[in-house]
Amino acid sequence: MQRVAQTPAGEDPAVVDDRRLVSEVLRKDRKATAEFTARCADYVYPFVHRRVMPRTEVIEDLMQEILLAAWQNLENFRGDATLRAWILGIARHKVEDYYRKRIRALELQEDEHSAEESAVLPVFDEHLDAAVQQQRVQRTLALLPEAYALVLIWRYRDERSTREMAELTGKTEKAIERLLARARETFKQRWNNDRP
Amino acid sequence: MTDPNIEREFSRLLSQPQEISERAPSSLKARLYSTLVHEQQASGPLASLDSTVAAGHGICVWEKLVQITPVGERAKSPFFCQVCHARLLAEMFDAPPIFWAHCPYVAFKK
Repeated sequence: MQRVAQTPAGEDPAVVDDRRLVSEVLRKDRKATAEFTARCADYVYPFVHRRVMPRTEVIEDLMQEILLAAWQNLENFRGDATLRAWILGIARHKVEDYYRKRIRALELQEDEHSAEESAVLPVFDEHLDAAVQQQRVQRTLALLPEAYALVLIWRYRDERSTREMAELTGKTEKAIERLLARARETFKQRWNNDRP
Repeated sequence: MTDPNIEREFSRLLSQPQEISERAPSSLKARLYSTLVHEQQASGPLASLDSTVAAGHGICVWEKLVQITPVGERAKSPFFCQVCHARLLAEMFDAPPIFWAHCPYVAFKK
């Protein structure tokens, strides 16, 4: 579907082609829209998948939100960066919105209980084959309450600090730390229960 | 303050990416495309098939039939895929048995 674009001197051909595609989508050209969908879906899918695993049932809703937001804001695409970078920026916001909503929903229950995390270091079987270990990680995350899984992914996969998470969710840093402690403790219990 | 060793262990465990197929499933692309075109239609007609061809895109055999039909441009602007079996099959299956040239739903299989 991709066609060769005329490249003005010094311009990245990918960016020129992105601009061509965006202008055609803005004209509501159905074939360009198909190309835009295929391209953007492939950019966004691995990003979203990795951030919501193992709850893959939310991927489609999130991707739909991202694509629709992209369409609604397409006039703001200047072509300073690639379409890929632009839409991944939208995806990051949408995924974080999703985290925020889910974690906020837990607010009342969490704040009522203080978390006590055992000081015992988790034993995460370093000798396990990486693929086997990742399967076990996904199984364990799937067994956790959703907010626990998300807070762990946000902190350790996306490497957000507890301060950033607090700001983004409107909770205190202490509340996020308590939530993380409970999530880690539950993760450890489930992990150990899954031991063959 | 969390024990740095616990932090390190969780980082090590959770930061490892699991291998994920690089491409979105074709049925998901098909559903996203249909949704996006409906959204485009909500704010006015789609670009005409003539302008699509002029922009260098191919059109499928059904769209070609519409394009040469002697009716006004307005009648040629709807999203004809809405009534095509190819869309239905593509939205349901990742390897749908559809093979029309220049059909976007076929292209999603690639």
